[in-house]
Amino acid sequence: MTKEEIEDKLRQGIASITSRDKSSIAVETPLHEMGIDSLSFVEILVFIEKSFNLRLIELDLTKKDLETVDALASFIAGKL
Amino acid sequence: MGFVIPSSKHRRYLSGADWIINALDCMLKTVTCAGNMSQIVFMLDGEIDEPLLRSRLESFIRKFPVVEGRVSRDLNLTPLWKIPGKAVVGVNLDVHRVQAFSSLNDVFSFLENGVNRLFKDENEHLSFHLVQGGGRACFAMTFDHRLLDARGAESFLHLFRQFLTEGDESRIEEGVCLTAPACLSDWGRKFIAGRNLNRKIISLSKPTPDALPVPSGNDRAFRYKVVSFGADETAKIYDNADNSAGFMMEMPYLLAVTVQAVRGLFQRKGMAAPNYVVPVSLDMRGSGDIRQELFFNHVSYLFFKVLAEETVDLKSTINTIKQQMYDQVKSGMPADVAEACLLTRIAPLSLMKKIFRIPFKGRIASFCFSYLGKGPSMASGFMGAEITNIFHMPRVPVPPGLGFFFNYFNGRLTMVVSYIEGLIEDEDIQMLEERMRESL
Repeated sequence: MTKEEIEDKLRQGIASITSRDKSSIAVETPLHEMGIDSLSFVEILVFIEKSFNLRLIELDLTKKDLETVDALASFIAGKL
Repeated sequence: MGFVIPSSKHRRYLSGADWIINALDCMLKTVTCAGNMSQIVFMLDGEIDEPLLRSRLESFIRKFPVVEGRVSRDLNLTPLWKIPGKAVVGVNLDVHRVQAFSSLNDVFSFLENGVNRLFKDENEHLSFHLVQGGGRACFAMTFDHRLLDARGAESFLHLFRQFLTEGDESRIEEGVCLTAPACLSDWGRKFIAGRNLNRKIISLSKPTPDALPVPSGNDRAFRYKVVSFGADETAKIYDNADNSAGFMMEMPYLLAVTVQAVRGLFQRKGMAAPNYVVPVSLDMRGSGDIRQELFFNHVSYLFFKVLAEETVDLKSTINTIKQQMYDQVKSGMPADVAEACLLTRIAPLSLMKKIFRIPFKGRIASFCFSYLGKGPSMASGFMGAEITNIFHMPRVPVPPGLGFFFNYFNGRLTMVVSYIEGLIEDEDIQMLEERMRESL
């Protein structure tokens, strides 16, 4: 799976979790600026586990790894 | 897909969450001096024009007859909110002048009185309070949780602010959705959700959680401690949350710190190794237009069980809370709670308040907790004054009669401890504040 495909899938999942239009999810926008709180962030982590078979909650992730869709996609691409 | 009975202009069917809130209201009226209410407080850096506030509030409230509704049942037995054709009662606004207003302490008794006063009848669900003097003011709205949840109350006042500033006030109520289906279909799904919730409750009940003994007497008021952190302190707390719990894990971090502080409190009260069950309310709205879901309750719950051995240090408490949060979200617990609660609507409120006491040997929970993070954008002006802080003062279900509520506004975190009179003493509160400040 390419990084672009991962980004696309992440945008789709985040759009569904936050009830937003996929087109409004920019890959560089910090997640907290999209109104994402602890609960919706955990929903994103669950979505990632179901979609990419990665349990990110158990990994030592830093803010840098997760701050934007772009960073998250890079991190996931590195783990797949 | 079964058939759907929509609500009409004058009746809005209640959800399962609404019915739980109604049951808690009934319970609180039995064991305390008032119902399931809360209060949102704006601290202002200037005084405001009282006659103007009164007249603008009256015009605003008249746009929303739903605020003068009452609970009833339909012929199909579904509970509903009966909405009058127009709002007629008017605005209940108390005004107090104080000579000195240098800190929150100078006006706190007015705020506590406001949130501990029973609404005058079943059609009153809002009251407003203005305390001002010495170039500062405090504006508060006491609200019935049967009408608004915490996020809804913030948004209602946000809409009022828009009403004050926008030229075309005739359209302010546009987009506010006051209909909801009766949800009398898909019974199989509801019963499966009910089974899942029952299993969760059974697993939470062993071992029995600890809670402080509720003092006797059925007319006790709630007391509050408000701790506001400065901008630098707040930034440090969020950094600590990032480092200790992980990115965007503020809620588990704040809950873990609270559990650690409550552990000290329970130990002071003679409980050697307390276990905890904590319900945490969640906002189930999407991030779309808040007007769609302004009124009534759009919440669900996560339940956390923290055993005594998991509270030995902050890190292990954080880890257990994070893991439980993840597992519950993955298994769809918030949606199950919302679905399962729909089944309770057939029960009368007098029966509901007894059902609540069946699990956990009547203790219900060790304490209540919520965290309202960065929410809908609240500009900081209000009738010509700057809003310096916003916080909530909820009345907590009894038992447990103890709650911790965090909210974030304009770069500052505020913690409010709410407790029923006599449950804890001033020294206990001081100890809690010291422990929280040390750990956060």
